Amino acid sequence: MNRPKLPATAAFAVTLALLLPEQRAEAQNASELETRLEAGGALVSHAATALGALAVAPSIRYATRRFAVKASGSAWRLDDSWSLRDAGGAVEVYSPLVYGLRAEMLASANRTAFDAALQSDQVDAGGRIHYMHQRLGVWLGSGVSRPLRVAAVSNVNISSGGVWSRFGATTVKGTVTSFFFTKVVDTLNNGTTNGATSVPVCAADRPAAVPVDFSASNVSHSLGSASSACRRESRVTDFEGSVHWQHRLVEVTVAGGQRFGDRLDVTADSRQWASARTAIWLTNQLAAVAAGGSEPAQPTRGLPARKYGALGLMLAYWPIPRGTVPVATPASLVKSFELRPAGIALQRITARIGGVETVEIMGDFTDWAPIPLVRRGRDLWELLVPMSTGVHQINMRIDGGDWIAPPGVPAIRDGFNGEVGVLVIRP
Amino acid sequence: MTGISRLGLAAASVLTLAAVAGAQDSSRPRDTDPLSRLDQQSRYAVEMLLDSARLAGLPTNPLESKALEGVSKRASGRLIVMRVRETYRTLKEARTALGSTATQDELAAGAGALRVGITQAELSQLARTRKDKQLTVPLVVLSDLVTRGVPRDTASSTIFQLWQRGAADDDFLGLWRGVERDIVSGTDPGVALLNRAREVPSRGPPAAAPASGRPPETSERP
Repeated sequence: MNRPKLPATAAFAVTLALLLPEQRAEAQNASELETRLEAGGALVSHAATALGALAVAPSIRYATRRFAVKASGSAWRLDDSWSLRDAGGAVEVYSPLVYGLRAEMLASANRTAFDAALQSDQVDAGGRIHYMHQRLGVWLGSGVSRPLRVAAVSNVNISSGGVWSRFGATTVKGTVTSFFFTKVVDTLNNGTTNGATSVPVCAADRPAAVPVDFSASNVSHSLGSASSACRRESRVTDFEGSVHWQHRLVEVTVAGGQRFGDRLDVTADSRQWASARTAIWLTNQLAAVAAGGSEPAQPTRGLPARKYGALGLMLAYWPIPRGTVPVATPASLVKSFELRPAGIALQRITARIGGVETVEIMGDFTDWAPIPLVRRGRDLWELLVPMSTGVHQINMRIDGGDWIAPPGVPAIRDGFNGEVGVLVIRP
Repeated sequence: MTGISRLGLAAASVLTLAAVAGAQDSSRPRDTDPLSRLDQQSRYAVEMLLDSARLAGLPTNPLESKALEGVSKRASGRLIVMRVRETYRTLKEARTALGSTATQDELAAGAGALRVGITQAELSQLARTRKDKQLTVPLVVLSDLVTRGVPRDTASSTIFQLWQRGAADDDFLGLWRGVERDIVSGTDPGVALLNRAREVPSRGPPAAAPASGRPPETSERP
């Protein structure tokens, strides 16, 4: 007997059609979708191995005020074939902002492969409390990671804290992250092992093993001799800082860190690290990227420290606007603000503002309700608004900061300790 | 119809209703009762002022807009009422100064000029010489210039002279852009205006001098 499929199909189609406008409207109000594709040459060295290859790294991120989903990966072309280097996905869920405080839950899973012998999978989960106010943010968090197929035999307990602040076009960030985990140390074979929890805990008076070297030849994935292996609790603490600066077409990020911990857990090449990345935007969606630096070892994952360099192009696209980070931004960041007729009683507002997350306007034509502009490029924001001919008042706000009069239009005091722009829309 | 189909239709109906309700909400930023965002006491005061404006034949939009602006900018109810009352007063004065033929936009622009300190007499001067031209843009530019620090008398007389010389809206907007640039680069606002005003071409015979009112200051011509 044939089932009547039409009603269900039609219902689905109608539902979808009716839902789409709402999704689009919702997206314009509070969502962001960001896609990036980087391609270029990369050079990586760790231990005695150096590797050069053509690399491709796509990433996509979708975020609303309540959650964010991100997926990224990279593939390298070696010996005329492509191989997967990194792949991962992450989900973040946010509570509403109450008095500047927000709870955030984070979960992720990823795979990293330095080469055929050095691969690691890990799942992470955690939460943090994030306080945000204008140009400043502070967070405290805790979480757990589970590395697979590597040195640690326990979950990795992570405690972290951080602070960020924005000064004009510069964002400064500092974090402290502490990792606590148990791994099996093979004192005779000079390495770490993966496996049985039946291995005894290392005696306090046991001769110290040499620092763990994570190069491929020294990492054993089988349990060492029972007499030489013991379980050891490890704690390492990373202090990291970064500065991100953006001016016109140039973005520069400089980061560095220092690791503290027992010499058994922290190899010499992981004590300090530093990196830099520069992007020069050639168009709104295309940038030339150069990056290089060093990364510390990841002892919980059995991955050694490495140095890297990369040169390539980045293609980025923001089909809908990005999310909200309440940061006050000076009006001087607004490179241009224009209004052009776009049909009967419609005006197209375009603004060029780089390095910001949200741009909103409000005015008498919106009954003074804020409306976000839609991101159309790296620094291009746009909105189509109904506006009749005549005199209108308008304010704009960047990253949730103060309401300002848009540059390029006459302004008067608003009577509320600010200024309001005055637009004259002529027939 | 199978159970699954019925379930699908029911789900679709619920989603459809939700979507329609949501679409209505998101596609219409305007509230049906925007003043509901005010506290009760302030709302009452604002509604009284709106009624007064209606009775006086004044546009009510600027008053309502000022109230909503205050709400969105999180001003106190007391300050909002104060600003709405000020808007009402300046609208009334603007109509007296500009005459009953003034358009709503001219009234709004005139009220803005009065709020930055331009006098009714100065507005009247402009109005008397306007013939069939709209005063909106010159008044908006005048208000902005005073807000940016140009001395009131200098701004008023310069705009009046340009107006007399037949300057068009684009001339005023071009003047404003030039002055803004000069001020940003460090020039004294008054000097910037006088310098830039010299660059505005004369577009016709001067309009008739005002029969009364304070004579404008003279400024040098190139």
